[in-house]
Amino acid sequence: MTSEQTQGQLASAASTEVIIEINQMNKWYGAFHVLKDIDLTVHKGERIVVCGPSGSGKSTLIRCINALEEHQEGDIIVDGIKLGKNLKNLDHIRTEVGMVFQNFNLFPHMSILENLTLGPVWVRKMSKLDAIETAMTYLERVKIPEQADKYPGQLSGGQQQRVAIARSLCMNPKIMLFDEPTSALDPEMIKEVLDVMVELADTGMTMIVVTHEMGFAKTIADQVIFMDEGDIVEQSGPIDFFDNPQHNRTKMFLSQIL
Amino acid sequence: MAIINATKTPERAAPLGERSAIGWVHKNLFSSWFNAILTVVTGYLVFITLSGVWSWGFTDATFVAQNRRECYDNSLTGACWAGVIDWLDNIFYGRYPRDQIWRINYGALMLVLWMAPLWMGRVKGKILIGAGVVVFYPFLAGYLFSGGDKGLFMQVMVTGAVVALIANTANMLTGVLRGEFLPDYLLRVLGKTTAPDKTQHNMLLAIALTVFAAVFIWQTSWTAEEVSWTKWGGLFLTMVIAGIGIASSLPGGIILALGRRSKLTVVRVLCVAFIEVFRSVPLITVLFMATTMFPLFMPEGFVLNKLVQVIIAVVLFNACYMAETVRAGLQAIPKGQYEAAHTIGLGYWRTTGLIIMPQALKHMIPNIVGSFIGLLKDTTLVSIIGLFDILGMLRSISKDLPWLGLHKEPLIFGAILFFVLCFSMSKYSRHLEVKLSAGNQH
Repeated sequence: MTSEQTQGQLASAASTEVIIEINQMNKWYGAFHVLKDIDLTVHKGERIVVCGPSGSGKSTLIRCINALEEHQEGDIIVDGIKLGKNLKNLDHIRTEVGMVFQNFNLFPHMSILENLTLGPVWVRKMSKLDAIETAMTYLERVKIPEQADKYPGQLSGGQQQRVAIARSLCMNPKIMLFDEPTSALDPEMIKEVLDVMVELADTGMTMIVVTHEMGFAKTIADQVIFMDEGDIVEQSGPIDFFDNPQHNRTKMFLSQIL
Repeated sequence: MAIINATKTPERAAPLGERSAIGWVHKNLFSSWFNAILTVVTGYLVFITLSGVWSWGFTDATFVAQNRRECYDNSLTGACWAGVIDWLDNIFYGRYPRDQIWRINYGALMLVLWMAPLWMGRVKGKILIGAGVVVFYPFLAGYLFSGGDKGLFMQVMVTGAVVALIANTANMLTGVLRGEFLPDYLLRVLGKTTAPDKTQHNMLLAIALTVFAAVFIWQTSWTAEEVSWTKWGGLFLTMVIAGIGIASSLPGGIILALGRRSKLTVVRVLCVAFIEVFRSVPLITVLFMATTMFPLFMPEGFVLNKLVQVIIAVVLFNACYMAETVRAGLQAIPKGQYEAAHTIGLGYWRTTGLIIMPQALKHMIPNIVGSFIGLLKDTTLVSIIGLFDILGMLRSISKDLPWLGLHKEPLIFGAILFFVLCFSMSKYSRHLEVKLSAGNQH
């Protein structure tokens, strides 16, 4: 089920500066070849939507970008840093690339405010007061400032996901990755999360979103990527992708979900 | 035709059996003829057992006597508690010189006072208090119990402990009376709340150093008479071994568990080997090996007394069991927590300390406290290698001339003593579980 598209196309904020470059990247899980010869270039401010059937490797792809998974062949260059064995580079990447997960992954033993201030205080070395100020700003942006002292277990799914988005934003990342952010939500909560993401896109954030929400894709995407069985099958602008899919597999996929 | 319930069904009271004492008795004890007969028969058996125990232990028992003969003269069928009461000092303190027992009592009292603020809601800085206890109390207690000449290191640590205790008491007062953390209170009183961080730190440091110097000078004038560890015994010795064992096995276990889960092969293999070796041999074997083999491994002239050998053995043994408990708790934390911590930039140690451990420790509490209770009871094994802990003392009563052959009463007393200790720990564990799950619904 897709949620309704409520606004027209968002203006593209893409620049010409390349922020992510993936060259001939291959990944294996043991003997299973999960990502095959991936080539992808992402510009600063660009918004990419990745879709495809389950098992196609789309989650794995974005998890490779922020080094949650290791790749065996090829290069991934994020913000000028090549991902490899160098741990210092990995630390830098982690602070520049934020991620929002399908099942929120909030820290249940801490209050919302503590969840948000954890990163800034311990990694960015901000003072506690500055961190709280930043946290409250972002909580207001995701429209739930009154929940600051509650615990994650007391919030609804949609609220938890918005807190997760705010938590990533508190680290001021350059890139935001979303791994099926609305797939675990009840239908009435999907809209509130997508609205937050649209507003985030409007501020010019570089976003890569793995999702099944095609209406959302049509609204914000600069590029839509279709993946199947580890390949990037088709990549084009949203209008071309939905109105005029080229590849057979793309056509089949779109006919199933639209 | 649709079925519609126009009015809401009203609530009614539950049937009598669910909500009253008589109802409970009827339902659980007398619900059928067979059950009723069973209840009466078991009730009778319980009654005659309890009344037998009561008359043996209380009504017919002798509490004051000079020797066993007197007990028998007084009452043939009753317990001879007089033997236990006569030996109470030995049971609690071993062969510690009687005029120095105040040192043991003071040590215990200080520990209680030191740790009391941890239970007070308004007191701030509980982590520092806990750290202070773990770092300084062993030295203060160690010196208080053994006495003798203080080397420079010991003097510094004893001073540190006294300073920590003073700070702790002051913090407790500022916490309870004003809800403030001690440093904040001091800064406020000196009017330096808004001063730059550096000035604040220097002020607090100056105060701390002054107090330290004063206490240092004071403690040089005070030495405690030396009491050899061979005189330590009874409940005191059990508490020393169990206390050090408990305090050290948890951090040790955490480190071993983290090492076992490490991605570095050498660390992992070493930890696995260590854990598996100690888990595969009984504690008594470890104790024997510690007392016979340690001297072979020690460098020339470096002698560890038997008590230290035993304590090391107990700590290592329990750290391995603790490691497996901790590992189970760590495994229960979903991978998503690690990933989320990774994506906000937390490194390995910060993730483990801030995110994973707090959640995992909550899950592990029943097992950890169970381990501690087991440790407490296992300390009785040291009586086999010649240390006179509670069990050793209790069994010595039957070899004492006035009380020759008195077996039952000391052992029953020992059982009651251990029950009180272990049940309190169990109750505390339950209390901790309840306290830590409130407010943190998953």
